[in-house]
Amino acid sequence: MDASLFGALGGQLLGIIPLGDIVFYFTPLNLFMCAAALAFTFLIAISQTESQVEAEFGSLHDREVKVEKKEFKIRRFLAIVCGLATAGAMVTGDLFDFTLFVCLIGIVNIGIVAAVKQVDVLDAAYQYGLIAMIASLPLFGGASLILASAGTISLLQLVQLSYTTPMMALGSILVFMGVAGESGVAPFFATKAEMFRTPGSPFLLIIHLSSLLVIVRMIEILLIINKPF
Amino acid sequence: MNLLMANILLNVVLAFLVGSILFGLERKIMARIQMRPGPPIIQYLLHTLKFFIKESAFPKTAAMPFYIAITAMLSFIWVAAVIVGPVMGGSLLLIFAIYALHKIVEHNAGSSSGSPYGKLSCVRAVFSAAAELPLFAVLIIIYLKTGTMNIGSIISYQSIHGPLIYSLPLAAAMFFVLILSKAHYSPFAITKGKDIISGYETEHFGLLRGYLMISESIAWYMLLWVFLTVFIGALSPVGYLIGMVALTAVMAFISATTPLLNPNHSIMMQTTFAFVGIVGSILMIM
Repeated sequence: MDASLFGALGGQLLGIIPLGDIVFYFTPLNLFMCAAALAFTFLIAISQTESQVEAEFGSLHDREVKVEKKEFKIRRFLAIVCGLATAGAMVTGDLFDFTLFVCLIGIVNIGIVAAVKQVDVLDAAYQYGLIAMIASLPLFGGASLILASAGTISLLQLVQLSYTTPMMALGSILVFMGVAGESGVAPFFATKAEMFRTPGSPFLLIIHLSSLLVIVRMIEILLIINKPF
Repeated sequence: MNLLMANILLNVVLAFLVGSILFGLERKIMARIQMRPGPPIIQYLLHTLKFFIKESAFPKTAAMPFYIAITAMLSFIWVAAVIVGPVMGGSLLLIFAIYALHKIVEHNAGSSSGSPYGKLSCVRAVFSAAAELPLFAVLIIIYLKTGTMNIGSIISYQSIHGPLIYSLPLAAAMFFVLILSKAHYSPFAITKGKDIISGYETEHFGLLRGYLMISESIAWYMLLWVFLTVFIGALSPVGYLIGMVALTAVMAFISATTPLLNPNHSIMMQTTFAFVGIVGSILMIM
C-alpha cells in the first residue's frame, strides 16, 4: 500500500491496526481527533454538572436548575459511549464501520437529552430523533452504492483508486447527507441548538464534539473518494 | 529536538504578541473612525497580562473541573495550531479540526459556568458553528485545485502557478468572512455580543480569563497566517506583518461601520456566503 497517498490529506500515515475486517489507521489528523475525543470523554467522566441560576418570573427570587443524581448517571454513561464512538469514527479505515459509529452517535445523542425533564428540550430531541432516523437511509444507502460501484468500502483501498465514478460521487454525497442528519448539523441545526438550553454542560459538550469531529472526518472521507480535478 | 522546541516557543510567543497588538490596533482604528481617541495599541496585551496577577475566582455554580480544564484546552489547541502551521507546515485539514475544537470549547466555556449569559453565548456558539464550519470548509476547494492539503505543498504549488487568490477569489472571500466573524465587534461576533455582557467569557476571572485572552490572540494570528499562506503564498516575516496589519485594518473598518447582526440573520448570511463560495468555486475550477 502506498502510504504517501494519505500525506496529501491528513498527513503521513503513521500506522495501521488490523483487527480482521476492521482496520484502524492513523495519520496526524486522525490521531489528533481521536486523542481529542478521548481526552474530552475522560474529562466528562470525572466532571460534575453546573447549576443554572435563572431569574424567577414575577418575583425577585432566583431559580436554580440542577441535574438530579439518577439523571446524571444515565446521561454520563451515554456521554461516555458517545465519546468512545466518536473516537472510533475518527480512526476507522472502513466506511461501513464509520457509518455504524455515526449511527451510534446519533442514537446516544438523543438519549443524552431524552433523559431531561424539560418539555422544550424533549421537543427538540424528538425532532432531532426524527431527522436522525430518516438520515440513516442515505447514510447506509450511500455506503452501499460506493461498495457496489467500487467493489470495496475500505478507505485504504479507495484512496489508491485513481478515478471516481459518478455512482461513487453520488454515494459519497448521500453518506454526507446521512452524516449531516445523524449529527444534526446544518441544515438541521435549528432544533439541535434548542437541546443545549438544558443544564449538564459536560454532556452537551460531547453532542457538539461528536457532530463537529464527525463532519471533519466526513470531509476527509469525501476527499478520499472524490479525486481532485 | 532542542531546536524544534525553541522554534515552537518562538512561534507561540510571536503569535501571542502579534495577535494581541493586532487586536489593539483594531480597536484603535475603530475608535478613530468613530471620532474617539481610543485605547493605546498595547491595551489588549496589557489587559491579558493584567489578568495573570489578578485574583482567580470560581463561580459556585460551575461544573468542576470541567470549567477550568476547558480554558486549558483552548490554549492547548491553539498552541497545537501554531505547531501544525508555521512550525511544521502540516495539514490544512488538521487546522480545520483544531478550529472545530475551538468552536466546541467556545460553546462549553459558556455553558460550564452556570451563568445565563454564558448559556446564551453557548447556544449562539452552536448556531454559529453551523455557519462558520462551512466557511472554513471552503479550503477544501484548495484540495480540489491543488491536489493537496499539505501547507508546504500548497506553498510550492503557488510558487509555480501563482497565488491562489487569483484562481480561487471566492474561496478567499469566504475565508475572509470567517476571519471577520472572529473579530471583536464584527457584525458576526454573536457569541460575544455586548447584549450578553462578554458572552462565554462573562464568568471567567483572573488566570482563566488570561488564558482565554492568550488563546484568542493566537487564534487571530493563526487565522490571518492561514489566509496569507494559503491564498498568497510564502511571505517574508515583514510581508506577513504587512499582510496581517492590512487585513486587521480592513476588519476594523467593517466592524466600526456595521452593527452586530441578530443571531439568525448572522447565521443565514454566513451560510449563504459559504454556499456561494463552495458552489461558485467548484464551478470556476471545473
